[in-house]
Amino acid sequence: MKKRKKKKIIIKVSDLSKSFNNNIVLKNINFQLLEGETLAIIGASGSGKSVLLKNIIGILKPDKGSIEINDTEMVNLPTKLKEKILLDLGITFQHGALFDSLKNWENIIFKTANKEKMNNKKGKQLAFSIINQLGLQTEILDLYPSEISGGMQKRVAIARAICGNPKILLFDEPTSGLDPVTGSLIDQLIKTAVRTVGGSAITITHDMASVCRIADKVILIDNQTISWSGTPKQMFNSANTKIQEFIEPINSKIFFK
Amino acid sequence: MRDLFLDILGTTGKKFINFVANIGHFFIFFGNAIYWALKPPWYLKRIFQQIIDIGYFSLPVVGLTTFFSGMVLALQTYNGFTDFNSESTVARIVLTSITRELGPVLTGLMVAGRIGAKMAAEIATMRVTEQIDALGTLGTRPMQYLIAPKIIASLVCIPILVLIGNTIGILGGYVIAIYKLNFNPNLYLYATMEYLQLIDIIQGTVKASVFGLIISMVSCYFGYNASKGAEGVGFATTSSVVISSVMILTSTYIITALFFG
Repeated sequence: MKKRKKKKIIIKVSDLSKSFNNNIVLKNINFQLLEGETLAIIGASGSGKSVLLKNIIGILKPDKGSIEINDTEMVNLPTKLKEKILLDLGITFQHGALFDSLKNWENIIFKTANKEKMNNKKGKQLAFSIINQLGLQTEILDLYPSEISGGMQKRVAIARAICGNPKILLFDEPTSGLDPVTGSLIDQLIKTAVRTVGGSAITITHDMASVCRIADKVILIDNQTISWSGTPKQMFNSANTKIQEFIEPINSKIFFK
Repeated sequence: MRDLFLDILGTTGKKFINFVANIGHFFIFFGNAIYWALKPPWYLKRIFQQIIDIGYFSLPVVGLTTFFSGMVLALQTYNGFTDFNSESTVARIVLTSITRELGPVLTGLMVAGRIGAKMAAEIATMRVTEQIDALGTLGTRPMQYLIAPKIIASLVCIPILVLIGNTIGILGGYVIAIYKLNFNPNLYLYATMEYLQLIDIIQGTVKASVFGLIISMVSCYFGYNASKGAEGVGFATTSSVVISSVMILTSTYIITALFFG
């Protein structure tokens, strides 16, 4: 029998705690993201999912614990080195965080254009090819983010995240506030994006339909800690009351038939 | 009674500590901003955009304000000085008042209202919509990309705006003196040129540079540290205009005292 190759650990979070003014948000968080895996972090609004993501990407500093990305300890890493590692990450923020003053194509190539000097023609071509990969209309490239819909903005944010083919993708509530059709489309884009760059991804969501569509592994943050982890399939058989509350609104049969 | 006293003391102490902490925070921001403004590479395209925004688009408001101030000054000086038969000093008073004080201060206040508010609102909106966080994750330092161009452009534009404003203000006084008060144009111009001193222009330029630094730093500081969504953007905008204006009026006294005190 062939021995299965052990997957590389891409992100390792150990004993992470974070509080704001004596208000504990996260306590002793431990998890790993393996190569080629998509991990969904679920939890109620205000449970600290986005805070966790912000700790991983260095916007917030944990009170305690460690975060390793590709075996490099990120907490207390000098800014220059941290920036270098962050360049290999593709990140989308909860509200898209597209730059209002730049056109969509400029938003998409922002990171790559900073790394390597490129003229407008080359930049537009790059943005065009990414938009094409994601199956979006290329007419939006010359518009500003404020001139396109919320769903479209989220898609442009995904395009910006995958530009430059980063191997680690982090998505913060990519489908929140979207109708089910657009949400499903975004999930498809994420799957395509992860497959395209051949990387690993973390997605933060409370959209269970989205979890079922894209995740290989799920962790639930509740009461400041990880109260449950498993696969989406295990989630539907779980006796955990919080998990039950989350999956109650959807009919599991639809997703696993 | 004792509890009430302790309550008041506690609240006042907390406010005082917060105030001191904010000042410290501001000076750290100030040092960082200067560092990034001096450190290459500079985003030349963004600096140019800011120069157009701060300099070119502020010209109409600065021009109108200083023009009418020059007119009012000529009229008021004439009315007041007629009682002492000193109408001939109108040109001198207009020139000195505009170049030393009114030109720089009015330009500073107008730019604080127009550009300071815009800077604070723009950066605060970027902060509350996570655009600044996003910048950091895209290999760009927000201080270098966002703040430094605004500071460089303010330092370049506001002294130029003040020089233009001074000229327009003096022109406003000239228009009233010649066309309303029937002064002799040649004599008025001669008096203006005679009393024009290099020290006044230097002092006005120093004031303008300090105002430029105040407006850009205060506005960027409040914008950069904004929180709490739309309310935070409003707070940052109002605070930047109020604090910049107060600091402009305070610093103009200090600079005047240093030059002529």
